[in-house]
Amino acid sequence: MSALLEAHGLTIRFGGLTALKSVDLAVGAGEVLSVIGPNGAGKTTLFNVITGRVRAVEGSVLFRGEAIERLQSFRIARLGIVRTFQKTEVFSPLSLLDGVAAGALARDDPDPAACAREALSTVGLLNKAELSAQQLSYGDQRLLELAQALAARPAVLLLDEPASGMNHQECAHIVQLIGELRSRGLAIILVEHNMHVVMTISDRVIVINYGEKIAEGPPGQVRADPRVIEAYLGVNQRADASAR
Amino acid sequence: MSRRIATLAVLALLCAVPLVVRDDYYLHLFIVSGIFVVAVLGLDLIVGYVGQLSLAHAAFFAMGAYTSALLFVRLQWSMWLGLPAAALAVGFAAFVLGGVILRTRGHRFIIITVVFAELMKLVATNWVDMTRGFMGLPGLQIPRLTVPGIGSIDISSKERFYYVVLVVALLAFVLCRAIVRSSIGRKFILIRENEALAESLGISAFRYSMIAFVSGAGLAGAAGSLYAHYVGFVSPDLFNFSYVTIMLIMVILGGKGTLIGPALGAVIFTFLPELLREASHWRMIIFATILILATLFMPRGIVFPLVAHLLPQRRRTRHVGAP
Repeated sequence: MSALLEAHGLTIRFGGLTALKSVDLAVGAGEVLSVIGPNGAGKTTLFNVITGRVRAVEGSVLFRGEAIERLQSFRIARLGIVRTFQKTEVFSPLSLLDGVAAGALARDDPDPAACAREALSTVGLLNKAELSAQQLSYGDQRLLELAQALAARPAVLLLDEPASGMNHQECAHIVQLIGELRSRGLAIILVEHNMHVVMTISDRVIVINYGEKIAEGPPGQVRADPRVIEAYLGVNQRADASAR
Repeated sequence: MSRRIATLAVLALLCAVPLVVRDDYYLHLFIVSGIFVVAVLGLDLIVGYVGQLSLAHAAFFAMGAYTSALLFVRLQWSMWLGLPAAALAVGFAAFVLGGVILRTRGHRFIIITVVFAELMKLVATNWVDMTRGFMGLPGLQIPRLTVPGIGSIDISSKERFYYVVLVVALLAFVLCRAIVRSSIGRKFILIRENEALAESLGISAFRYSMIAFVSGAGLAGAAGSLYAHYVGFVSPDLFNFSYVTIMLIMVILGGKGTLIGPALGAVIFTFLPELLREASHWRMIIFATILILATLFMPRGIVFPLVAHLLPQRRRTRHVGAP
């Protein structure tokens, strides 16, 4: 599978702290790549670099073979690289329809409302389209974020902890949605702490610890990697893994 | 249909003002409030729609007044040329300033707009060869209006100049309404509500803030030109901070992000201090108390309770903080 989005040698420093150290990744159309690691490992920083919110001091980001690491964030979004946020970001006082239309308006879509309805329908919120975002439950707001991103018609979708704070049923819905988006040909990069979600939906997993990539591979292989167990999954899991 | 009838009734009332109001002083207040309507509609684009608290607006107003006055004094350009020239010149100044400051947000943006306003006041005060400093530029005139088929009309009386101001104010309102109802205006609102999110979805906050900033400043420039020719004199006092304060009161207590609210605010807060003159030395205390009470009990502005009752639920949701 040829890569739609590639990052090579991404390095970020905040003062004396190296938040990312020479991280590489590649994701192709119709693929789910998960990025996992402990809190503060640099996962969200990686998203910030890819989407142009933070400039890397070294390294490059290529989208369809073109360097994009110097572009402003709105230009990167218009190319088709769209993200959601760790902390829910919605247009609170606006109706769902108006807020979700943002991505379509940004593309100068001739019918932003139709595009917004389609995105809301995909995530199952069409029946609440006239409500304001602040009237939604937390779980629905997370789905709304996804709809906002979909209305921008992404080729690459970066999801920052979409299942965070969700119950088992809501997580299952998220997994089903991500699977559906993958089948539509979207390249998805997923940052997630919920290991069930990660292991269920990912095609490949990257593990970051202290800003460094320490493992990459299919979910089963990564789960059994001693360095990953040591750094992230915990010693108890190492014992479980050895027992297996 | 009822909305159209209401609009026509309001227009008829506005047109009837000089026929009904025979007192020159009250007519003067109508003219001044009309000029403020033009200026605060521009400020509403910046403060109410993209959510940037600009304190440079009175400076834009004063720059428009000076541009028009200088073109009249130095080049004998009438107000008909001076007004669009003032709007364009001030819009261009805002474009240059915006290129620097619209990448900042919050207190940094506010501070720079204050500094800009003070700098412009210093220029008007100290560039004596050009502006005559504190002595100001007197002798500005209202030009005659040439109408094909009718001839040249003297519009210098208050009754007639009122109509000039009314036409400019209505044009400004129509222009602003067209902007805020277009996809540009919807992007303004998205930026105001969540700039980081809007950018992450592909909307350039800088570009659309610039559109609001330049259009708003241009309207302030046009208002300044009207003011200069109406009053007949400009001086550095036009740059005083009190002007931007009253403009912000008009926008915020009128109902920012609604256009109609700031327009109403311009009329109410031009008349109110004058109507309170009867209260003698209690006047400003009463005015201040009214402002405080309005802020406390109508935080979204005087227009919002009206809009909230007139609009059905669906539109109310969509139009929270928006027209």
